[in-house]
Amino acid sequence: MSDFSLAGSPARSSSTAAPKRPREYFRLAFLYVCSAILLFWALAPIYWVFVSSISTRTELYARPYKIWFPSQPTFDHYVELFTSGAQFRDGGYSPTAGLMGSGMRNSLVTSLSAAAIVTILGTGAGYVFARITFRFKGLAFFFIMLLMPLPIWVSLIALFFLMSQAGLIDTLFGQIMIFSTLLLPLGIWLMSTFVRDIPAEIEDAALVDGANRWQLLFRIIMPLARPGMVAVFLVSLLSAWNNFLIPLIFTRTPNSQPLTVVLTLFIGQYEVAWESMAAAAVVTMLPPFLLALFFQRYLVRGLTMGAVK
Amino acid sequence: MRSRWLNPDRLFLVAILVPLILLVGALIYYPAVNTFQTSLTNQNLRINRPIEQIGFENYTRLLGDDEFWEVLGRSLLVVALILPMETIIAFAAALLLNEKFPGRGLVRTLAIIPWMVPPVVNGFLWGWLLNGEYGAFNGLLYQLGLIQDYQYWLRDPSTQIVWVAIVHTWTRFAFPMIVLLAGLQGIPPELYDAAKVDGAGSLQRMLRITIPMLLPSLAVSLVVEFISAFQIFDVVWTLTAGGSAGGTINPFTKTLMIYNYELVFRDLRIGLGAALSYLILLMSLGVGFFFIRRLYNEGVKSR
Repeated sequence: MSDFSLAGSPARSSSTAAPKRPREYFRLAFLYVCSAILLFWALAPIYWVFVSSISTRTELYARPYKIWFPSQPTFDHYVELFTSGAQFRDGGYSPTAGLMGSGMRNSLVTSLSAAAIVTILGTGAGYVFARITFRFKGLAFFFIMLLMPLPIWVSLIALFFLMSQAGLIDTLFGQIMIFSTLLLPLGIWLMSTFVRDIPAEIEDAALVDGANRWQLLFRIIMPLARPGMVAVFLVSLLSAWNNFLIPLIFTRTPNSQPLTVVLTLFIGQYEVAWESMAAAAVVTMLPPFLLALFFQRYLVRGLTMGAVK
Repeated sequence: MRSRWLNPDRLFLVAILVPLILLVGALIYYPAVNTFQTSLTNQNLRINRPIEQIGFENYTRLLGDDEFWEVLGRSLLVVALILPMETIIAFAAALLLNEKFPGRGLVRTLAIIPWMVPPVVNGFLWGWLLNGEYGAFNGLLYQLGLIQDYQYWLRDPSTQIVWVAIVHTWTRFAFPMIVLLAGLQGIPPELYDAAKVDGAGSLQRMLRITIPMLLPSLAVSLVVEFISAFQIFDVVWTLTAGGSAGGTINPFTKTLMIYNYELVFRDLRIGLGAALSYLILLMSLGVGFFFIRRLYNEGVKSR
């Protein structure tokens, strides 16, 4: 709390700007006003959707809209969403309960599996690209990295028909495979930079002692590159969870549709009660939100491609 | 005698690289070649006819089609709206976060959150904010006395694309912000001290030191943000495209990716859609190579 108290703690700032205290106060006040503007822009939309999800219908549809916090906050919409199904304007009921349940399961299964696969394969390949020289290495690296900046439609179109022939449309396995492949380049790139930061002398010593490559990878590289593996896992998890295009194309039924697609089903088919939609949106963005709050350091390093360490 | 091919080091390489090459080959490169072959045919799943090889006719048809140029123009307009808006907001935010003040870390953490929001949710979020009947944006402006009546912000076709750009900026501004902030923190303070001694004012220091020193970071953020804006899909889909549940796709915010989706998965004109995907690929090569070069230099050198 003391971090934010401007007035009432003059002692705090005295160390930095003792001689010209009024000017330092002015500077701080200016910075806090700017911070408030920045945070309003960044958080107001999220705050408002959360408020919508815990407001009663009457308050939410009041006009002019003036409820910036509900007078009787309620979690009924969340309960409804997962149990009875949302109530529509026309008084009917939708099977939201089933959709939300399966959507959450599918999102969790696909994003966790893809993140695990990318972390394992990415660590191995990152080590190989960082430490071992072999023929066509540059070429292989180039063709893998090419996936990152280029639009993937050239592959998606034919991939759709290939996956249909293989019976992988509308399956979790199909989505996991596609997510893993699309996220691998970033995983490999990040892991190769992390491995390169590990002093090679440690491995040299182990090699002299007769260790083989597998032992090096599992006993030396993996423990030392653990922060990198965590970053790769979290970034992949976030990207797969947030992805919409792949499940939009490659899923057909609630059997395999993740939350991002389920959300669009609500709005498309019915005129849905807004507060329930808000609750569904909050549920969908809750995992990314928590990751952003608690694991930001890893995510930022991963998502900025190591441009910022 | 131990074979050269079966030494443990080589087995290690094979065990790690083969799954990787299989995945990337089977899911990316093989289909990409396949799509190219399709782009040379008149395949259309709506019409039951034998598939014929028609050479580059799909490409010439697209290039001669007004809709293609309209969509391309719109995609470039989105990029042209997003890049300056994002860069200005990100630069201002980076300057703020480069100052030392209590609570700075918390401000940074919170400002990054929109970046993590799923783009699909992002589109919905803003769709409701801007809703003409009960949206919070109307409520806010009304209470501040800035509007007399509730507006349907997303109804006017000519401004829809601007809203798309604003909403995309909202999620993405954190990336250039972080990159520019890192750039700012990398500027040696001695440069500023020396400039102060020479009597340079703060504007001069900004123009002569800060901005030139930030150019590399700026280049990185512009390239990445170009790619992200050029390939915009999710936000358009949920904010203004109206394509859910088989509905008609709104022509006023149809960007390249939406157009490609429509051709392939709605109109089922597979050949034409395949050709479009290759035209998009060609247009992306320039920035793509810039992006790769940076990765490549750092990624491939060993030890």
